[in-house]
Amino acid sequence: MTETWRLIDMRIEDAPTQMAIDEAIAMARIKEGTPNTIRLYRWNPSAVSIGYFQSITKEVNLDACKEYGVDVIRRITGGGAVYHDYNGEITYSLVAPTNHPKMPRDILASYELICGAIVNGLKELGVESEFKPVNDIVAGGKKISGNAQTRRHGVILQHGTILVDSDIRRMFQVLRVSDVKISDKLIQAVEERVTNLRRYLERDISFDESREALIHGFENTLEIKLEAGELTSGEKKLVNELHEKYSSKEWVFQR
Amino acid sequence: MRTAEYKVPGGKLLTAEVEEKNGVLVHVKISGDFFMHPEAAIIDLEAALCNSPTDEIEDRVERFFYVNKVSLFGVSPEDFVKVIKLTIIQ
Repeated sequence: MTETWRLIDMRIEDAPTQMAIDEAIAMARIKEGTPNTIRLYRWNPSAVSIGYFQSITKEVNLDACKEYGVDVIRRITGGGAVYHDYNGEITYSLVAPTNHPKMPRDILASYELICGAIVNGLKELGVESEFKPVNDIVAGGKKISGNAQTRRHGVILQHGTILVDSDIRRMFQVLRVSDVKISDKLIQAVEERVTNLRRYLERDISFDESREALIHGFENTLEIKLEAGELTSGEKKLVNELHEKYSSKEWVFQR
Repeated sequence: MRTAEYKVPGGKLLTAEVEEKNGVLVHVKISGDFFMHPEAAIIDLEAALCNSPTDEIEDRVERFFYVNKVSLFGVSPEDFVKVIKLTIIQ
């Protein structure tokens, strides 16, 4: 029998709320045995999220963020900085136990499986993409999705970005790119290392169409059925508690 | 305070911010787009390096990853040693 997972579908929230929801679902999954969950969501206002280990001043042009009204937040997951464009980006998150029969114990293999769901979803849209270890998905040699995973007390939380129609110019106004990081790349402009669904497909693409393809990607790859659901009251309580952490200067500016 | 950046072949970027006094590290902060599980172990690693004589950096990092159950993705313990040493060579 196909297993049913909860789908929390396309909620639009600010950065601290989105990060609090992801962590709350993972925490509740540990303590209360809430369902395995996929979320698809958008960030309003647009935001930059940086990896847990990143230095905020090194990665983010804070003046540009202020000028353009872009929020800045630190994730609990490692990895790189992401520009979550309200008008052009979908974020997903997945919460499931590490001992789930479909989840490889090996962390890299589990990245590959979950990223495979994105790859399969994008294929439905006509995008040929592939998983590039450790945590990227590339289409036509350009990054179209970045992903990050953490594991706590037997639960996997993986979230990632899918660039639908992100403003790539704005992305590189709000993100700082280290000279050291560019130097070994052959492509001249950093902007040419990134693409989005619209650029790749050379046509307009809606959030609805992208969302549907991603849902199919998860269902087919993980052999699950997604059923729309809401946060439990326990999760909502956790979201309120965690929101404070994610909004605090101590958290965001810790590194 | 001195900082150095080290680009790991294959993608990830490590930055170290180090203060050294008379051959001893008195402050170490590491940042970058790598993955470490559990994440909070970075604070323990930095603490393990604090008060380390500069010629013990390698040993301390090695011991840290030997004693603690910490997984790394995108970087290796040697890369941490490299980037910290880069701040001293400068």
